[in-house]
Amino acid sequence: MKFRAVMVDTGPMREFTNIVSTISKLSKECVLRLSTEKLYFIVSEDNSGPSPPMLWCEIPQDTFFSEYQIVGVDDEYRDIYLGLVSANLSKSLATLKTAKCLKMKLTKKQCPCLTLEIETPSSTSQQTRQVTHDIPVIVIPRKLWSEFHEPRIPQPDMSIELPALKQLRTTIDRMKGMCPEVVIRASAEGRLTLQIKTDMAKVSTRFKDLRVMAFEGPIDHSDSETETQTIEDISKTCYCRVDTKKFSMFLSADQISHNATVCSIVNKKLVILCLQTEENVKLQCFITGIVY
Amino acid sequence: MKCLIPGPNVKVLGRTIHALARFGDELYLESSPEAILLRTLNASESAYAMVKFNKVFFSYFNYNYFSAKDQEGLKCKISMKSALHAFKSPTHMDKQVENLEIRLDAESCKLIFIIKCKHGIVKTHFVSILDCKAMQAVYTKDLVHNRITSSQKILSEALGNFQSSDDQVNIEVNTESLILRNYVDSSMDLSKVIRTQISIKSAEFDTYVIGRETVITFTIKEFRALLAFAEALNLPLQLHFEVTGKPVVFIVHNNTTFEAHFVLATTKSDTPTQTSASQNSTITDRKRKEMGFNSNSVRKKPNLDVDVSKCLDEDSHLFDYIEMPIDIINAQNNDCSNKDISQSIIQENVDCDNIPPSPTSKMKIKTIFKRCFESTFDPRSIRGSVLAENSDSE
Repeated sequence: MKFRAVMVDTGPMREFTNIVSTISKLSKECVLRLSTEKLYFIVSEDNSGPSPPMLWCEIPQDTFFSEYQIVGVDDEYRDIYLGLVSANLSKSLATLKTAKCLKMKLTKKQCPCLTLEIETPSSTSQQTRQVTHDIPVIVIPRKLWSEFHEPRIPQPDMSIELPALKQLRTTIDRMKGMCPEVVIRASAEGRLTLQIKTDMAKVSTRFKDLRVMAFEGPIDHSDSETETQTIEDISKTCYCRVDTKKFSMFLSADQISHNATVCSIVNKKLVILCLQTEENVKLQCFITGIVY
Repeated sequence: MKCLIPGPNVKVLGRTIHALARFGDELYLESSPEAILLRTLNASESAYAMVKFNKVFFSYFNYNYFSAKDQEGLKCKISMKSALHAFKSPTHMDKQVENLEIRLDAESCKLIFIIKCKHGIVKTHFVSILDCKAMQAVYTKDLVHNRITSSQKILSEALGNFQSSDDQVNIEVNTESLILRNYVDSSMDLSKVIRTQISIKSAEFDTYVIGRETVITFTIKEFRALLAFAEALNLPLQLHFEVTGKPVVFIVHNNTTFEAHFVLATTKSDTPTQTSASQNSTITDRKRKEMGFNSNSVRKKPNLDVDVSKCLDEDSHLFDYIEMPIDIINAQNNDCSNKDISQSIIQENVDCDNIPPSPTSKMKIKTIFKRCFESTFDPRSIRGSVLAENSDSE
């Protein structure tokens, strides 16, 4: 098993740091899957702390690394799965924003380690200095790989573009203090509503004129409570009730410079938030709906 | 004693107090005809700091203001917390404070800080004196092999790479470069700690003189405090050190006005006992650790062996006795006619052999079961009486 990768451009290095730091905010532990084409950061529901959202992040290696070598266990199992503490990785990469070069290696130094060799320029002279971090990792055996496959999800009823994440985050952070659950409602007319209800108040924020990416026919609301608005054609709206904290956690991803963020809703069951960057990084977050 | 400190210098004093507060809980103040000295020692007595403010630092300085008879100068010990109260925010102090007056009267039991701020505000702090003793550490800074002068930035940038949970730093020096590592204790779980290593080329430092290659380990907390101090005052930092086990001295000075010495104890190898067997074991211990840090440092091993054994040799000179040349003793032993003298010589010789071991009370507890963990340990070698029964299997 061998892995070696080199990063030299400042743009990707900054991007990579942001991605890792976002992931470290979402979860204590994560799985890094290395394959010949892509790097995957996977956070699954069971193996991590107080039920963070499930996360799937794909990073294409060719846009980030100038050199990338990987040798798996054998020809059949070419990938490498590593379990690591996400904060360890993000703290070690904190100095990467000013670095000249990053080398990532899989090493065995008493225990398996992901070794980061960072070359940073000196602030006082022309010299460079070499910083080496050995981050302990756990090599995940093949029989457990199946736990980290991309989650199979039902066809979403609607996919709608999200407004600017920063704006959305300030809204959600206010709501988070008031109510642990938020109802996300999307309509085929391009309207997104965030709604919370407390004993004292009902707060809803509407975002209009958003692009609807996909809409799969009229939505069956036959089993739902009848108090929904009658002004709108309810067959054209779908909704999902989710944990406000989890939703807010995903929104911390706004530090990654992104092209588009799409919110897909499986009516009442699941919200999928997907962030895509120019470098084809795809960060997906799966938040299961709360049903009473 | 009475002295006046102008506004800009109050900030320097404030920074000093804050740096010293990260060392110890008590502050020793001593006045002399030429200067004021501030000292502190940490609780475990492994870190000591001394800052000397010369006469020119003050706008008015009179060390025997209250009684002309007292030529010795005054000494006092105050609690660090109360000193901190007087210097709450050193960053803004130069803007708010016009001057600071410090008064110490031999008759009184209070040390008085009078801070004159802008807009005619006067703050007076009466600080209780806990003791009238002075404290001084003995260390050498001038006769050492290794001296490095570094811009304050280099080392603090390097320390930025370490985790906040790291508590000891290990510095390895050779003629080409200085390597900083976080020290990983053998008791730590390796699968949980990040091991970090930073190598800085010697060319980055202002001066870099290494007389003897060595590896020293000391606490990171005090190191951070003194780096913050050097950085706040924008002054370079001098490192003077010898080998492991001897203190490392950091010096920050501004030629004429003040000079700060920070002395940190460096950790010695695990066992300070002086039997040859344990010497060997410590060397292998260190070797093992060294391997852990850097798997490709094999070529450094021989150097390390020499270093450690040298330092252990030196340490055995902790007590004063003069070794008699053996051949003279033998010659005199053989000479029976001079019985009295030979008797006395033998007596002396015996004394020399019965050197009491150096006090190791703190470390002893760690080394009780040491042999069991040695790689060469053979359980068959201890036969006979069982000192302690095996505990229950559950």
